[in-house]
Amino acid sequence: MPKLEKKDLVKNWLLGYSSETCYNYERLQGLGNTNAFMPIIRALYPEEKQAEELKKYLIFFNTEPSWMGTVVHGITAAMEEQRANGENVSADDIISVRSALMGPLAGIGDVVSQSICYPILAGVCISLALSGNFAGPILFEVVYKVLMLTLGYNMYMLGYNKGKEAILDMLSTGLLNKILDAVSIVGLMVIGAIACGNVNIDLSFLEWEFPNALGSVVFNVQHDVLDTLLPGILELAAVLGVWGLLRKKAKPTTIILIIFVVAFALVGLKALTGAY
Amino acid sequence: MVLQAILVALIATISTWWFSHTITRTWLYPIWSGFLVALVMGQPLKGMMIAAAINLPYIGFITAGGSMPGNAMFAGPVGTALGLAAGLDYTQASVVGVILGSVAVFAWNAYMTINANWVHLADKYLEQGNLKMVRLCNYVPSFFVSLLLNGLPAFLIVMNGETFGNWLQTFPQWIMDGFAIAGGILPALGVGMLLNFLGKKKLIPFFFLGFALAKFVGLTTMMVTVVGALIAVLIYYFQNEKVGE
Repeated sequence: MPKLEKKDLVKNWLLGYSSETCYNYERLQGLGNTNAFMPIIRALYPEEKQAEELKKYLIFFNTEPSWMGTVVHGITAAMEEQRANGENVSADDIISVRSALMGPLAGIGDVVSQSICYPILAGVCISLALSGNFAGPILFEVVYKVLMLTLGYNMYMLGYNKGKEAILDMLSTGLLNKILDAVSIVGLMVIGAIACGNVNIDLSFLEWEFPNALGSVVFNVQHDVLDTLLPGILELAAVLGVWGLLRKKAKPTTIILIIFVVAFALVGLKALTGAY
Repeated sequence: MVLQAILVALIATISTWWFSHTITRTWLYPIWSGFLVALVMGQPLKGMMIAAAINLPYIGFITAGGSMPGNAMFAGPVGTALGLAAGLDYTQASVVGVILGSVAVFAWNAYMTINANWVHLADKYLEQGNLKMVRLCNYVPSFFVSLLLNGLPAFLIVMNGETFGNWLQTFPQWIMDGFAIAGGILPALGVGMLLNFLGKKKLIPFFFLGFALAKFVGLTTMMVTVVGALIAVLIYYFQNEKVGE
C-alpha cells in the first residue's frame, strides 16, 4: 500500500511555488505543476509508470499558486494516493477536478492576495519608506511572506485532509461563490480607499485673477469649483474613465498614452494662465 | 559600476524568472525589488525612497492569467537603479518607472511566448521518461530568456544612467510638469484594472463606499478594510439565513 508521508506533501506544497518558473501563454503553470508533482508520483508509483502518471500535469493549468490555490494541489495529492491504492479514480477524474477548481480558486486567491492584502500592505509600507523608514520594505517582505506561506500551507493541508468532496460540495452549493462575493466586497472597499489616497489630480494651478469694480477676484478651478462640487471628483472621474475604457477592451498601453495626452493637455491649460 | 550593473541585471532577471515564489513572489513589487537594488548600489536610504515612489502607480497592480497593466518587475529594479545613477528626484523616478514599465510589457509578452518552447521540449523528455530533464526544462531555459529580455537591457540602462540623467536635466519645465501630472493620474489605471477584475455590477457600490469613507470621513485604508470585513460578514450570514429558511 503506497502511502504519502508528510515530507512528500511538504515537498509538493513547496515545489508548487515554482509553478510559474517557466510561465508561458500556451499552458501557463502546466510544466511547473509537472515539476511540483514529481515527489508525489515518485512516492506512489513504480518507476515505469511515473512518466505516464505525470502526463496529466503537463497540460493547460492556471490558478493562483501561492496563497489559496494550493488547496487544489492538496486535493490532487489525496486523489493520487487513492488512485495508487487501486481505488476507482481515473486520470481523467483528477484532470477534471483540477480544471473545475482552478478557476474559482484563481478568483478567490487573486482577490485575497492582489486586491486586498497587497494594496493594504503596499499602501502602509510605501508611506513608511517615503518618510525614510527602513521598516517599509522590510515589513512588506516579512508580512507578505508570513501571510502567504501560512495561508498556502493550511490551504494545501485542508485540501489533502478534506479531499475533493468537501471542496466540490462548496462549489456545487454556491458557497464558493458567496465567499468570492464576500472577499470581493472587502477588496472593492479597499481599492476605493486606495483610489482616494493614491490618485492625485490637483488643478489648483488653474488660477486667474480678474480685476473688477471691487478690486480683483481670484478664480481657482480646483478650490472654487471642483472641491465645492465634490471633493475627489476628478480622481473618481479618472478611475471610472479608465474602467470604462477597460470594459471597452482598451489595452493598458493605450490607456497610459491617453493619460499622458490628458496630462499634457492640462499643461497646455496651465500655459494659458501664463505660468511659463 | 560594472559589478553593480551586473547585480542589478541579475535582480531584474530574477524579478521575472520566478524560480520559487517562496522567495520571488515579493520581487514583483518595486518596493522590494527596488530596495534590493538600493542595497547593491550602496545607497539604501535614497534607493528605498525612489523604489517606494516607483511602486506608487503600481499599487493597483494585478496579474491575472499572465496579463498585466505594466511591467512592474522591470520598472522596480531598473527604475531604481536609473534613478540613483542619474540622480533623479522621486516624482521623476516614479514617472520614468511607469514609462519603463509600459515599454517593458513587450518583454513580458515575449517571455511568456518564448517559454512555450521549453514546454514542448519537456513534452519530448516526458515521452522518453527522462524526468530529470523535465525538471531542468522548468527551471533553466527561462532564466536565460529573462536574462536576455530583462537583465541585458537593465545592464545597459544602468551603465548609461548618468548620460540619461544629464539628458533629462535639459528638458524644459513644462515637460516635467506634464510627467508629474501624468504620474498623479496613472494610479487610476491600476485601480481601474482592479475594478474591472472584481467588477460584478451589484458589488460596484462598495467601491464608492470605500472611496467615500476615505475621502469624506477620512478613514485610513486599514479602517476601511475593517469596515469592509464587517459588512462582508454580515451580508454573508444574512444570505445563508435566507437559504436556511
